Amino acid sequence: MGAAPNVRLRLSNRAENVLLIRQALSGLAEAVGLDAVALNDVSTAVTEAANNVVLHAYEGDEGPLEVEFSSTAVGLDVLVADRGQGIAPSIRSGDAVSDGIGLPVIQALTDSVEFRDRPSGGTEVAMHFELDQARPLDDAPGLAVAGEQAAIDPDRPEGIVLGVAPTAVARNVVPRVLSTLAARAYFSTDRISDAQLLADTLVSELDGAVDGPLLVGVTVLPRNLELRIGPLLSGRAGMLFNGEDEELGSILGRLTDGHAVSESGTLELLDLRMAQRG
Amino acid sequence: MTATATTSIAPTSAPGAPAETLQLFARWQQDGDHTARQQLVERFMPLARSLTRRYGRSSEPFEDLLQVASLGLLKAIDRFDADRGFPFQSYAVPTILGEMRRYFRDSGWAVHVPRGAQERALKVRDAQERLSNETGRAPSVNQLAEYLELDTEDVIDALQAIRAYETVSLDAPRVGHDDEVISYGDSIGGEDARYELVELDATVSSALAHLPARDRLVLHLRFVEDLTQTEIAEKIGISQMQVSRLLRRSLEQLRTMTDAPPAGKAR
Repeated sequence: MGAAPNVRLRLSNRAENVLLIRQALSGLAEAVGLDAVALNDVSTAVTEAANNVVLHAYEGDEGPLEVEFSSTAVGLDVLVADRGQGIAPSIRSGDAVSDGIGLPVIQALTDSVEFRDRPSGGTEVAMHFELDQARPLDDAPGLAVAGEQAAIDPDRPEGIVLGVAPTAVARNVVPRVLSTLAARAYFSTDRISDAQLLADTLVSELDGAVDGPLLVGVTVLPRNLELRIGPLLSGRAGMLFNGEDEELGSILGRLTDGHAVSESGTLELLDLRMAQRG
Repeated sequence: MTATATTSIAPTSAPGAPAETLQLFARWQQDGDHTARQQLVERFMPLARSLTRRYGRSSEPFEDLLQVASLGLLKAIDRFDADRGFPFQSYAVPTILGEMRRYFRDSGWAVHVPRGAQERALKVRDAQERLSNETGRAPSVNQLAEYLELDTEDVIDALQAIRAYETVSLDAPRVGHDDEVISYGDSIGGEDARYELVELDATVSSALAHLPARDRLVLHLRFVEDLTQTEIAEKIGISQMQVSRLLRRSLEQLRTMTDAPPAGKAR
């Protein structure tokens, strides 16, 4: 692989999260200008790999699922990983997916695929797709090692952490992921639209205010979304709501239902809450 | 430990009794026995169906694509070389997927919003409006999915398409409640006088003043009066989806106009 990922999702291996992975991928595909047939290939293969983690990694229990997408000059690298007993042994035996065609599907749609045990425990599927991208990212910086996401971990295990870089990718990925989660929280379509507007606004306004890539932690509760965003440079979170730009403050205030700023070392985290009203 | 995928297909993973399957292949490929071919088709049709569901989700109508997959299955049955020792599936899966992929490419699917997705977006738009009118509030994705008998994912994709692509035209004809065909274009016009009645807050920046009157009004109703998008839609006689688009565009324009380098924003 080598290339730093552009999108990283850390979530639980619940079946409903596979949809979220596909939506994040669609956002990345939009950002790099991937055509619909290529996207369908990648999406189908990634779905098979993720479904494997859903069904087999933790023997019926819940556990972490991690997905990384890296856009390179020649295509797309995708990593689907678990920390469980291993998708690889089960998938290798050919019967991992109920009807046993998950593996042939992945093989048919990827240009290369590897199943590996992780040194830290768990297994991963590394898929490579050679693809034409109308707007390749060139050498824009991606995400660094996974450890830095710790600061943004939501309090609940079912929470979701999205890391995304550069901003051009975040612009397409964050609104898709947030609106999908808003739908899961039973928001109405007009409130889902608000979630998209909030995502647009945050991605644009935080460009340059983030220390490293933009990380978004989300917890979905019935009729509520809790967001944690950061790590922001000191003072930047408050500026969104109380800065010189009063319009921005009132727009954010109307789109959300409460905010708080906390310190994380020399950096800041912004907590936002969105509720379904009425 | 690393294993390359090609070594990992267990020869036992073919459905049904492999020996029986191999016999059928011999009868068709060596003896030209059409009954054997038909039996192979029946035996592996579930595979074609499964691949259609997996690869073709959210695209063309299922039955159309299943036909394409079936054609791929026939090709695979005719060309499969049993002597190589691999199960039929390992040959059939890429052949069938290849057939579907070619179909997508040939039908311009790569460059256009797929027909199925386009139609679904319009359905979602109409259902959204109908349900809003009936209940006075915007529906959830689950309600839309139930109403239209679609996956929630299809509805989410449709909302995304409506938001992202001007190709999903909001001016496309729709069926009104009395079945008369009207278009959104009709329901927007001639409203400028009303916009002028709105007193904008004294705090508005000069950036706002550059926006058209209707866009300013929608911004005001949403972010000063705190109306929902549905309430705004009702008030000025456009759809919630249009309010959504207007807001998105207006906020983008505001950002462009007020954009200063990050250093300039820090006090």
